[in-house]
Formats: sequence, structure tokens, C-alpha cells
Amino acid sequence: MQLTDLLLTLVEVLFILLLSPLLTGVIRKVKSWMQCRQGPSVLQPYRDLWKLLRKSTVASKEASWLFLVIPYVCLGAMVCLAVMVPVFTTGPSGGVGDMVAVIYVLGLFRFMMVLGGLEGGSSFGGMGSSREMMISAIVEPTLLLSIFSVAAISGTTDLSAISDHFAGLGLNGLSPTLFLASAAIFISLMAENSRVPFDNPATHLELTMVHEGMLLEYSGRELAMMEMASYVRLTMFMVILSNVFFPWGIALGTGAGELAVGVGSIALKLLALSVSVALVESVMAKMRLFRLPNLLTISFTLSLLAVMSYYIL
Amino acid sequence: MELLDSLPFPPFGYEEKNGRLHLSVPDDMLRPLVSHLVRKEEGELSNLYYVPNENKVMALVLVPRHGIVVLESELEGEGYPSLTAEVPAANWYEREMMEMSGITPLDHPDPRPLHLHEWPRHVHPLSSAFDKTTKVPFTGEAHHFRKVEGDGVLEIPVGPVHAGVIEPGHFRFSTAGEPILNLEVRLGYVHRGVERSLEGCALNRALRLVERISGDNGVAHALAFCQAVEMSNPVPERAQLLRCIFAEMERIYNHLGDIGGMATDVAFAVPAAEASVLRERMLRLNAKLTGHRLLWGSVAIGGAARDLDEERKDLLEGAMVELGLAFEPLVDSINGSPSFLDRAETTGALSLPMAKDLRATGPVARASGWDRDTRRDFPYGAYERLGFLVPVRREGDVLARLNVKVEEVRESISMVKQCLDHLHAGELRSEVPAPEGFGLGLVEAPRGELVHCVHFKDGKIIRYKVRDPSFCNWPTMERAVLGNIVPDFPLINKSYNLSYAGNDL
Repeated sequence: MQLTDLLLTLVEVLFILLLSPLLTGVIRKVKSWMQCRQGPSVLQPYRDLWKLLRKSTVASKEASWLFLVIPYVCLGAMVCLAVMVPVFTTGPSGGVGDMVAVIYVLGLFRFMMVLGGLEGGSSFGGMGSSREMMISAIVEPTLLLSIFSVAAISGTTDLSAISDHFAGLGLNGLSPTLFLASAAIFISLMAENSRVPFDNPATHLELTMVHEGMLLEYSGRELAMMEMASYVRLTMFMVILSNVFFPWGIALGTGAGELAVGVGSIALKLLALSVSVALVESVMAKMRLFRLPNLLTISFTLSLLAVMSYYIL
Repeated sequence: MELLDSLPFPPFGYEEKNGRLHLSVPDDMLRPLVSHLVRKEEGELSNLYYVPNENKVMALVLVPRHGIVVLESELEGEGYPSLTAEVPAANWYEREMMEMSGITPLDHPDPRPLHLHEWPRHVHPLSSAFDKTTKVPFTGEAHHFRKVEGDGVLEIPVGPVHAGVIEPGHFRFSTAGEPILNLEVRLGYVHRGVERSLEGCALNRALRLVERISGDNGVAHALAFCQAVEMSNPVPERAQLLRCIFAEMERIYNHLGDIGGMATDVAFAVPAAEASVLRERMLRLNAKLTGHRLLWGSVAIGGAARDLDEERKDLLEGAMVELGLAFEPLVDSINGSPSFLDRAETTGALSLPMAKDLRATGPVARASGWDRDTRRDFPYGAYERLGFLVPVRREGDVLARLNVKVEEVRESISMVKQCLDHLHAGELRSEVPAPEGFGLGLVEAPRGELVHCVHFKDGKIIRYKVRDPSFCNWPTMERAVLGNIVPDFPLINKSYNLSYAGNDL
């Protein structure tokens, strides 16, 4: 690996870390506009993180040492993901960004977060954790299957190579498989990142919580890290969605012009995705917990169809 | 009265006062009589309490076709045969009587404390022996919740402190996975000793205090108190219409808040925001009309304290038309959304027999198919002259409660307009003679039937019993959630939207 590659990877990780809170801020802003509200500034998530970082940590008496380690593992896993997934250039992460690894880094994140929910010893954490496991049991195969469908087209499981392949094909790369798989991924994105209709990120009702329930016992710096990890996870899902399925604009080499286009195009795509997430959240009510498997099964079916359509068409 | 003839045995004595039938019965006859009135005559137990000065247990039974029956029963010993076994609706009243007044309903099936927490068992705040200035020590005695046992049964304690700005109450769920097997509501965290403070209180001060029992139902409470003080002395017509306007305005802003709240709880953010805009407009209108956003201080003994001049009348009329226009799109966006309907339909269903047994009231009862409304069945003030419909649904679920509230908003808008049409120049207040004896206030508050029973002696209050509609409806919610899943509970709770402060007193 060359020095420029290393440098580029570093820049990509920083780009993701710095941008993630902003995207959450954009989603909240668009949602407030939809409700005829002014809403907080798009910079509010940064301010929240800064505030939390300066606060002291309070941990439950029931919690073991694991409780305080989990935020580091979770944020670490997300940084790791930012290294593996191509962000604005397909170059540097080649060879490390295998899709199976990506899915299981996400799995590690989820597993640790669920443990964190249980560690506090409160009933809300436990409820959140059990619901999270119920949802992820269906989301994980969907993710695998839909990325597998594009892997089948491009003949590799390396995410950079997949991006590279589709970006090279241009508009000829469009196929039903791509659309079906991206629809499946979008539903998984909403489910994995606890957005409406799966979960309500803005709720204060402990009894309905999934993701927030697991974070209830965290405070101070650890909460800031968990929040940050969640912001990054949302961004990484959007990056995967845009770069694996619609990678046009991504830099194929390391030229300055190409990189500038790459940065611009990914920023635009992330913005567009954030707005669409906010729109979907505004037009729906949250679903009943036991209806979630229905919607998730739809996304699984879509991903299955994506794979089948590749072999049949 | 024919009701007298139908009784299984004659009472000791009876008299008719202010259109009510007062029966004196020996304490061991109270149970068969109330049970007869409830079961055979379709009466409803609306209040049950103890008056220490007269050593009487009072039971208020409303019999829709016949009128209001007040049973007075002088106690011979420390207790009387409990009504709960035959009239389930008496359960909370009797538990309350036990801890507050020290009267023992004999063979009560569930004699645990109700609202007092960690109180010594022999100290009764409403008994005449209790001195208001004593500091009562905490006993540290833990409350015994109903236990559900078995494999995989999990107890979830929630509250009394909740996230968000709501009142305190403890909910103890027993669940197997997500479905709820049992719920016990433990209230009393905002018990302030309202009834005791009202004893001996000057009437004007009492009015201010009563208004604050449950802030968002302030007009209804004030109105019930005024009715009790006024006995059946006439109130000027203009004042009656103004009272009616204020009461309906209160219903409108309460129901708008509830509708928005239900949308918020299912994360249906856009209609929730629309509803809160409408509610805020109403609150600002209230402030412009009466000087108070929650309409406090607008009702006075013998009439109304706030008048509407021509300019304010026009403002109100315009606002009602505007609200009517803005309200329908909101209803359409909620009722037209499959994702909302999916959450609300069949959720938290309360069956009609259950509603009747536990004596639900207000929108909760009407959503379960019980066609009862105090404004129509026991009309007071200007309601006799107004035309309005009482919306009734059969399903008893969250959606039914939502739709009952939606239709009540429409009816209230129409009632306010009717009142404005009838509003002619006239007196605002009349002098009311000092009250004596038993006064009854019966009002349909936004949450349902509100009862104030006041005993006066020499113009002073000697016993004040408040029965907020929430007191009736809390036990029915314990039933409505059974079989639902835990994450649906906040929605069911919101569709009830009961008052904690009004219940705890």
C-alpha cells in the first residue's frame, strides 16, 4: 500500500466522522420543516456531542467492566467500517473491503450494543435489546443477500471492486437486479438505524423504544460515543447504498480532479438520501412491533428477487 | 316515584330535595339496595364516601330514566357490608374510604391501601381525629402488587417518574414476552389533601382551589363547585350561556391535545404538529377572551366572572369557523393513513360489559358503546336548550376513542356557535344565598362525568368529596391493556389521557 493510499483512507475516515452528525442534523431539520417547525440548527448534533463529552459518566451498579468498554468497541467498529468501504474513491481500500467482513463488523456493533443494553440491568434496556435482536435476525440475511446480488454481477465480493465495476459500466450497468437490491437495502437502512416506521428516534416513551432503550443507561462521554457510532452507522449505510449500487461519480484513480468530483458526488448523494429518509419518516406512523417482521420480510423477498433476477434475466 | 315501588324493601325514610331522591337506609341494607339499583334499574354508582360529622356513608346512584338517587346510611359500628363483591365499581371508593376515613367495608375482597404511600394503617387523614398540622412518619411498608407467577413471566416497573413532561404514576406490568398479562396502576403520588383543605374554606377561596384540582379541567371543576353551592337557585341566562361556552372551549382544547398526543405516540409527526398548532391557537384565543390560557377564573359563584363583549364575540365566532375548517384536513390525514389505522384499530379494546361493570365514563364509555353523557341525561345550565349529538362507537379501541373525541370537537364547535347566537344582553351574576345541607355538582368534563358532593353547615364546607372522571376510568384501563403488547401501552394510555392530579386529590 502506498503512502497516498494511506493518506486517502485517513481522509475518508475523517470525512465520514466529520460529516455524520451533520447528516443527522439535516434529517431532523427536514423533518421539522415538514411539520411547519423551525427546528434546531443542523449543527445541533455536534453541539450535543460536545456537551456530552464534557459531562461525567454515571454507570449502573449492576454493570460490569464491559459496560464502559462497549462504546469504544462500537465506535471502533464504525471507524473500521469507514476504512473498509469506499467513500469517494475506489482506490485505497481495495483488498480489505470484503462485503462479508462489512456485514460482520456491523454484526459486531449490534452484538456489543445489545450487550450494553443488558449490562445496565434495567428492564427497558433488556426490552430494547430483545427487540433489536428480533429485528436484526431478519435484516442481516437481507443485507447479505442484496449485496450478494451485486457481487454476482460484478464477480467479486470486494466492495471497492464492485464500485469500480459499476462506475466503469456507466448507465449500461443499470439492471432490475440493482433496483430490487437497492430497495431492499433502503428498507434495511431504515430498520438498522432505528428510523420510523421501525423505531422512533425522537421518542421519550421508554416502553416503545428499541435503539434508544439500549442507550438509556449510558451517560456522558460513553453516551457521546454511542451516539456518534449511531450517526456513523447511518452514514455508512448511506455510503454503501450509494457507492455499491449507484457509484457514478466516484473517483477511480487518485487525480485531484477525479477526487474533487468524487467528494462532491458522494456529498450530494448523502444529502439526497438524508432528505429521503426524512420524507419517509414524515409520512408514516411507526408500525406495531409485531408487524415489523412483515415489512422486513418484504425487504428480504426483494433481495431474493434481486438475486434470482440476475440468474434468470 | 315509581323507583320507590320497585325497591325490594322500603327505605327508612325518603324525601325529594332539588329533584333528587334522598333515601335513608340502615347500613346493612346499603349493599342490597345499591346492587338492586345498579343491576335491575341500570343505575350507575357515581360516588361513595363517608361524612364524619354525620357518621354517614353516602352513595350517589344515577338512574338514567328516573333521576338521581342519594342513599344515606348511618353507621352503627366501625363498618358496613362491602359493596364491591356485587358492584365492582365500588372497589376504589371503598379502598379509599378505608385509608382516608378509617371506615371498614366488611369482607372487601382487596383491602390494600389505594393512594396513600407508606402511611401508618391507623392514621386516616379525613377522619375528624386527624390534625392537619401533624407530620406523619413514613412506615417504609412496601406495597404488595398483584403477582403473576409462572415460567418466563417478567415484571416491568415503570414510573412514577417518567420521561417527558407528564404526571407521576407507577405502572407495574407482568408480561410474558411482549404481551401484557396484568397491569396494576399505582397512583397517589400527587395526593395533596385537597378534600381536607377545602373543609372550612371560604367559598371564593374554595372556588380558586377547586379550579386547580386538575388544571386542564379547571372550568368543569369550577362549574361543579358552583352548582353545588348554588343548589337550585337560578343563574342568569347570559351567565349560563357563557359557562357553556367556556366549558366547550375547554373540551375543544383538551381533545385537540389528545388527538395530537395519539399521533405523537405513534411517531406520526406531521399530523401531531398540525394538532398542536390548532391547540395552541385555541389556548391563545382563550387568553384573549378570558385573560387565561386555561380559562381559569372565568366562572364565578352565581354566574360568570368574564363577559364577552361584541368584539370578543366576533373574535370567537371567527375562530370557531376557522377551527372547523382547519380541523377536517387534520382528521382526514389521521383517519386516512393506513399506517396510523393499523396502530389504532383493535388496540386497547374495552368491552361494553367491562365498561359498565367498572363504570367507565366520558369518551371512554362512549367509545365502548355506552350511550351516556351527563349534558344530555342530567342536563344543567344551558345544555337543555342546545341541540347536540352524543357520538358513540362500539369498538372500544384506541381508534374509537379517537373518533369519539373528534366528533365531540365538532359538536363543541357547533355548541359554542349556538350559545353565541342565543347570547343576549343581561345580568352576569346573581346573588346566591348561603348554602346549607347537601350540594351536588354534576358536570360532563372533557374526560367524563365529574361529581362534586359538598356538605355545608352554617354556610361552611364540612365535607367535600370530589370524584374526577379519571377515578372511574383508571381501573378500566387496567383491563383494556390486557393481551396488548408492551410497546402499545403508551398509545392506549394516551387515548385515555387520564388525570393523575384529579384522581389523587
